[in-house]
Amino acid sequence: MNRIVLISGLVIFAALVGVLFLNLGHDPSAIDSPLVGKPAPNFALKAVGSGETIDVARLRGKPAIINFWATWCGPCYQEHPVLVQNARVLGNDVQFVGVVFNDTEQKIQAFLNERGSSYPTLLDESGKTAIAYGVGGVPETFFLDRTGKIVAKYAGPLTTEELQTNLAKAMK
Amino acid sequence: MIFLFVLTLLQVQVPDAQQVIGPPKGLPIAGAQLDQRTNEVASLLRCPVCQGLSVADSPSTVAQDMKQQVRELLGRGYTQEQILAYFEHSYGQFVLQKPKFQGVAALVWLLPIAALIFGAIVVFSKAKQLEKGPQKAAAAEPEDPYIARVRELVEKQ
Repeated sequence: MNRIVLISGLVIFAALVGVLFLNLGHDPSAIDSPLVGKPAPNFALKAVGSGETIDVARLRGKPAIINFWATWCGPCYQEHPVLVQNARVLGNDVQFVGVVFNDTEQKIQAFLNERGSSYPTLLDESGKTAIAYGVGGVPETFFLDRTGKIVAKYAGPLTTEELQTNLAKAMK
Repeated sequence: MIFLFVLTLLQVQVPDAQQVIGPPKGLPIAGAQLDQRTNEVASLLRCPVCQGLSVADSPSTVAQDMKQQVRELLGRGYTQEQILAYFEHSYGQFVLQKPKFQGVAALVWLLPIAALIFGAIVVFSKAKQLEKGPQKAAAAEPEDPYIARVRELVEKQ
């Protein structure tokens, strides 16, 4: 009996250690998106500044980067120049789109005036677009291939290296 | 820089739940019933930016947006199952306060039951051993020859 108890205890302990070991280095705040591999939800939102409505369904044909952000988000300030710079360089081959939620047009316009812009920024007033993409915190970025399928999601402020690594998946 | 977007005079369109979960399977509700059901369904959803709070309890703007969408879907006649399925489609099982009984998540349900059964077996076995009594248990086991020798020497003295 004692041997059975000992072996069972060891099996449970080994299973726990195994689970902990497998999760070493895994960011607990990172949530895998179930949308990866699926078609990106369609939406048509107004662009801040021009007021024109941009339909993302029309982005198909080129890889696209959809970046969810907000002016109240600290890391978004850090990320913004990376996106602006990369959009200037890659803009002919890749569609960049910013989607801002839980924010006001005035604040967004002031942010863009001060920090520059090289791609359209759309306002998601109801937050429904963010919900459809499973956005929790900002910034979060989705990489779409030419067919409009989501191939990667990145949570947190992007660096150029991370942007290019994820974009490579969309360029395939 | 030239944007290759086709800028049109389209109406603003946000993604609609119907594309994911189809048409409503229930009846539209309103008033106090809608308030109550909104809180009930929102309490089954996890706030994605909080620590252990449901959408119903969280004051965060993301949770408020999600709660508003729950309300709107209930008002259109969507059922609780359809609404949970809609949020699960975008956020994954993480968004459900109660994990589903499938895949790895099934372990969350099965392991505590298995541990309980295992514990009960151990307790009953130990209780049976104690019922036998320490002397009986000792008598049942053959004595160590070394201890027997020591006992013999002590008894001689």
